[in-house]
Amino acid sequence: MEAHESVDFKRLMSEESTVSTLSSDSCEYYQTEIFDLLPSIQASRPEQNRHDFSEETNQGGREAREKSGQLSRGPRDKTSMQPLRNLPMCIQGKKGAKERRKLEINDINFWESWRKTQSTNRKRVREQIKEALSGLVPWRQTLRTIEGKFGVGVKSYFVFLRYLIYLNLLHCVLIGGFIVGPSIFYRTDEYEPLMFKDSDSALDFFLGTGYVNRSLVFYGFYTQGSLDLKCLNIPLLYLAGIFSIIFLSLILVVRRTTVGYKHTWMLGKRYSMNVSYKIFCGWDFTIQDPTAAALKHGFIRNDLKLFLEEQSFSLRAAQRTLGEKVRLYLLRIVLNLITLSLLGGAFYLIYFATQTSLKKENSGHHWLVSLLLQYFPPITITFVNLVLPHIFRKISSFEDYSFTMQVNATLLRSIFLKLASLGIYLFFVFTTTEQDAKCKENQFGREMYKLSIFNFLATFFSVFFFNYPRKLVQETYPRSSLARISGKQRFLIPFNVLDLVYSQTVSWVGVYYCPLLPVIGIVSLVVTFYVKKFNVMRCCVPEQRMFRGSSSSVLFHFMLLLGLFMCAATLGFNHYPLQSTEGRNASSCGPFRNEQTMFTVTGGCVKSLPSPAQTTIRYLTSEAFALPLILAEIILLTSYVSRRRANQRAIERLKDMLVMSSSDKRFLVKQHATMLRQRNKHH
Amino acid sequence: MGNKQTIFTAQQLDAYQDCTYFTRKEILRLFYRYRDLAPQLVPLDYTNHPDVKLPYELIGSMPELKDNPFRQRIAEVFSEDGEGNMTLDDFLDMFSVLSEMAPRDLKAYYAFKIYDFNNDDFICKSDLEKTLNKLTRNELTEDEVRMVCEKVIDEADLDNDGRLSLEDFQHMIVRAPDFLSTFHIRI
Repeated sequence: MEAHESVDFKRLMSEESTVSTLSSDSCEYYQTEIFDLLPSIQASRPEQNRHDFSEETNQGGREAREKSGQLSRGPRDKTSMQPLRNLPMCIQGKKGAKERRKLEINDINFWESWRKTQSTNRKRVREQIKEALSGLVPWRQTLRTIEGKFGVGVKSYFVFLRYLIYLNLLHCVLIGGFIVGPSIFYRTDEYEPLMFKDSDSALDFFLGTGYVNRSLVFYGFYTQGSLDLKCLNIPLLYLAGIFSIIFLSLILVVRRTTVGYKHTWMLGKRYSMNVSYKIFCGWDFTIQDPTAAALKHGFIRNDLKLFLEEQSFSLRAAQRTLGEKVRLYLLRIVLNLITLSLLGGAFYLIYFATQTSLKKENSGHHWLVSLLLQYFPPITITFVNLVLPHIFRKISSFEDYSFTMQVNATLLRSIFLKLASLGIYLFFVFTTTEQDAKCKENQFGREMYKLSIFNFLATFFSVFFFNYPRKLVQETYPRSSLARISGKQRFLIPFNVLDLVYSQTVSWVGVYYCPLLPVIGIVSLVVTFYVKKFNVMRCCVPEQRMFRGSSSSVLFHFMLLLGLFMCAATLGFNHYPLQSTEGRNASSCGPFRNEQTMFTVTGGCVKSLPSPAQTTIRYLTSEAFALPLILAEIILLTSYVSRRRANQRAIERLKDMLVMSSSDKRFLVKQHATMLRQRNKHH
Repeated sequence: MGNKQTIFTAQQLDAYQDCTYFTRKEILRLFYRYRDLAPQLVPLDYTNHPDVKLPYELIGSMPELKDNPFRQRIAEVFSEDGEGNMTLDDFLDMFSVLSEMAPRDLKAYYAFKIYDFNNDDFICKSDLEKTLNKLTRNELTEDEVRMVCEKVIDEADLDNDGRLSLEDFQHMIVRAPDFLSTFHIRI
């Protein structure tokens, strides 16, 4: 055996793989005869089969198939099963394949061929229906324009907005079916609450008092009604509606979260294909506009530069000396303390605002002052939520993280800010409502209602009274100091998505006390779409640094889930009898008046079921069932985790095997070529 | 739908319907698009299989393709002669593979051929560099190009021969979330 340099199966470094031409050694490898005969090479050249096919139509099927059958059995078997259009060959080849198949199947009876034509017709009809349905999806053209001008990140914001609209539509349908419909239909004291009284005014729309307070917007409107079966009454339907909303939202959000992440979680960082995707899926073939094409080129270039920057950043980070590290960590601790103090200050402000607004002495003022006082907490919360994230963004730029880490750190802090401010606000509203209030639930619903409305108004006015004037100033006086300080406007995707998630959380938390909140949600989301579209198209320039969406999407979905959890926690907190609220369990309004609670109503329904069902339900809700259930879940989870680890190990082994067999192949081909050469030399 | 058209025979239209992802109407519409590129070269009667090839310059100037940095490679891959001059069959084939209804594997196969500039059934480093330069209009420095190509080969090369074979490419692209939506041309 000739002395060979040992085949190096480590990954080729850049010095070895030179520019376009291959090294002479490799050239020889690819030009050997045996290389062309290798089954793997044959399989990757199906257009050679094209010539075979067109010959066969002249000769007839069988003999030609046997001739080339040995070497290319694999793809041939595949190609004979697939529909013609899926074959990777040109139209001539497909026509040849069709002829060949026809020769094969010319003794199929009439029934089979009729069924085949029927199934192809059905497939075509299905495709047409799918095409028609996708044409009904709203705003497709707008989204395409936005994507062309501002990139995929901004488009994903609008896609998320549309998804939330669908979600809210689903909520509305559920509420209509479970709550509003039966309530209106079976109402005993017909339309008396919906009459206009003297004390109503236009302000009621903003404050949620008066007319709106009595209407079906709030919890207090819904009565027992005339539907009084044991298992089908208004309170039960109300509960069923709310729980179905929460449950469906949970399923949809979890599904949306996991759809993209399976592979990343399973394979881990080592096999992430970010750069390959950027190169091979980077260019959008649907672009037909030279400016959009130029923008896309710019995006791709900036994206790659960002990737390279992150590489160099991690290189730099790995080379930090100990002194630098210590200083950096100290700086980070100080900045985190500043953040915490800012958060604490914000929470105190909210507490102060809530206390001021809920005081009893507010009734004697002028209507504008009382309106402002009533809206004081939402104003504070919105102000805090607007200003602090930008401060966090500035802070995180000092902390020397990579760009995506910066974005994520800012997002984490902002998420914490928004959820905690909402939670604290809810807590204060709960604990400071007066003892003898006529309808606590309505009060609570009112606060959520005000929060929703103010969120919407803030979005609306911030675009028209802040962003648009700022752009006008930029355009008309580009050299003024004001324009230079404020800089060009960019559409900050993380903050906008966070706003959407926050408003959805408010909607979820409040839906029990204000069932029409999803309707308000839909209206505000639709208007927000157009307002933000105006903002993006007219006032903003495309962002230069691409927003790497994947890791931040985890955070957004996590916030959605947290919002759902907060909603469930609010409901539980309100309904579970606490020691201090023993006396005020009986609510005086809503479907649970007359001394009823959630538990009595469901208990009543269960009691009316036949006895086997009762015993089953009682068993299912008892502790004796919970413990085995938890154990079973733990065992299931452990099995999944260990299966995942085993799969990962198998993947590693297979990859190593692949590398090994590839080097074996190269070695053997080289040996064969060398031996052939030696033999030819001797002859 | 009556067979009022006289461009193709019924069998020809059937064959096109079977071999592409287009319906009858779309095939006729595409034929008119093909013809609009050069009305004097393309006859209105294809029943006797005329041998008409449109030069690459006409194909490359179509609005759907003129801004695409890979238009020359696309035309070369789908044309019979490998130079970019396309017959009607090639034209239909190209837009069929690039349409919304083509499956992922088929698109991956043709994408591989498009990115394989030297036609050696492997995407080697020089192919990658050419792809990158076309994508960024030569705005990256040589070092940056080199680093990116190294990273791509590092990520996607499974059998460790320093280039991407069809299997490597398909394995990588099958899991790309937006491959189907970017690799498609609406016509």
